[in-house]
Amino acid sequence: MNIPQTGEIFEILSKGQFISSNSADHNLRKLYDIINDENNFDELYDYFHAINFILERGDEYFFFSKSEIRAEIDRKIEIAYKWIDILDFLKAYDNSFGSNFRFDYSHMAGQIGRDVNLKDKLEGLRKYTSEGSYLERIKNLVGLLVKEGFVELENEITNQYKVVASFGYMERLVNSINIPNELQNEIPQ
Amino acid sequence: MLTFNSIKELIKSLDWSKDLLSEMFEKRNSFSYKYEMALEILEEDRIEKLIEKEVLRRNGAFLEIDEKYLQFFELVLEVNEQVSTAFIHENIQHVKESINYYLKESGSDKQYSYLKVIKSSLQKIGRITHRSIIDLNRNIENTFKTEPTYKVKIAKLENFDIKRKDIEFLIQQTEKLVTEEELTFFKAALDEELKRITNSLRIKLNEGRHNLIETQKQIINYLNQIKHQSEFIEKIRQIKYLRDQFELKSKTNFLEVLSNNNSVIFEPKSSYPLKLSIDYLQTDEAYQSILKISKKFTNGHKNIALAEAIEDSYLVTETEEEIFINLEEVKNGFMASGNNLYDFVQSYRFPKDVSFEERLTFFCQMISQYENEFNIADTYNKKNEIEFVMVYPKNN
Repeated sequence: MNIPQTGEIFEILSKGQFISSNSADHNLRKLYDIINDENNFDELYDYFHAINFILERGDEYFFFSKSEIRAEIDRKIEIAYKWIDILDFLKAYDNSFGSNFRFDYSHMAGQIGRDVNLKDKLEGLRKYTSEGSYLERIKNLVGLLVKEGFVELENEITNQYKVVASFGYMERLVNSINIPNELQNEIPQ
Repeated sequence: MLTFNSIKELIKSLDWSKDLLSEMFEKRNSFSYKYEMALEILEEDRIEKLIEKEVLRRNGAFLEIDEKYLQFFELVLEVNEQVSTAFIHENIQHVKESINYYLKESGSDKQYSYLKVIKSSLQKIGRITHRSIIDLNRNIENTFKTEPTYKVKIAKLENFDIKRKDIEFLIQQTEKLVTEEELTFFKAALDEELKRITNSLRIKLNEGRHNLIETQKQIINYLNQIKHQSEFIEKIRQIKYLRDQFELKSKTNFLEVLSNNNSVIFEPKSSYPLKLSIDYLQTDEAYQSILKISKKFTNGHKNIALAEAIEDSYLVTETEEEIFINLEEVKNGFMASGNNLYDFVQSYRFPKDVSFEERLTFFCQMISQYENEFNIADTYNKKNEIEFVMVYPKNN
């Protein structure tokens, strides 16, 4: 093994975090480039495979999966539900909310005051944001996204956040759910 | 309808109305300008005069710059939002007409004036084409980034694509005009300047065509992105609906998708508790960590909730004294005295009154306790009808 960053990569990915190509963190970008190198990828893949982790390549991001994980289906459902709720809210806030999108939560909170639909959706997120002013709730929501590695703080002074490539993971999950055609017709417009 | 009699008059009028016009021009896209607002800047009779001359137009309570002037300002200042291809088309027609007149005219003076018109029109075509492409690109980008409504965004982008095709068509027309259609004229009119102008026009048109290819790519790319985004938005809307109706699990392959997904992100955060290396704990580096942790622990204790203050009455103590005799002390005194134990005990000043019987008890207790430290002799003595053994401190 002659990739010195292997330990660092393992530390991040084994916690269920992502390494994205457009991360705001210089070090993470560097790690992305290291994994993205074709030779390194194969070597790392084999190495992690030997300790039961599968190195997976997403669209501009890397993550770990396993052949079997210690998570009950209920836990998975709960997490997926959370993502669906949050995605629904974020896309309502801005249709183009996705990788490389930049935002600050004060703008988001301001938008909620003006948009009843958005406000309604935020109420639905109470379970994850807890009580408080719009700004506090948005802060909690953004904190949640940061913790899961979908969003990063890019500028501390202006409080600007950046959506990183791993956000695509949630989108991919939602896209892989197949709604039968006849059911689609039943859903009101 | 009144018009300006001379260019002097026009420029003069524009001069005294410059404050109002520039203000209105700046605000032309942001909001409708009210008549009353104009009154703050210019006197009423002057505004009326501008309306009379059709520089301004009154629309109910609002005031706007006449379309003619607005277009003129935008064109000259190169800030037009609308990309107009009609202008180029008009110029091409104009060139064609002038060429026609030129060829029919025999007088060289007249020919010269037509040639002048042709040259200026050709230059204009090049400039406007160039300008239109820049405007088009800027508008495409602005629309993609700022237009909030999806359907409008798509429609606008598609319209820009039509505009792009128009410009491309006009470039073709112009090229054809210069190279094929009016070959006779371009051969006949032997004018150096015309040659130069035609050449530079062709270079400009060529550049323009390349730019338009890039523009086309950009439009396709944007439309694809929007399509992708809007598809996803539709998807998330449907899925959210099913989730709210509690139908997601039963009616879609949601469970299957999740059970096949073994990403580590679904796992509870795992930690790997490891025993510390004893060798490491003995190093100076580890010592610092231990200090830090021990600090944390003491800090932790501080956080324990404190009980209320204890009432003073509880703190008033009732003391009860009791005097104990410390045999050890007595022994130490004896060891230093050199006297025999019996006499020593009898004469020892105890901290409280001690009876003769008690003194005898102490005598016996001491012998049994400190037997090893005493020298118990074989001789006996008798005092007050009590016979006792002679005991001395043992000399080391």
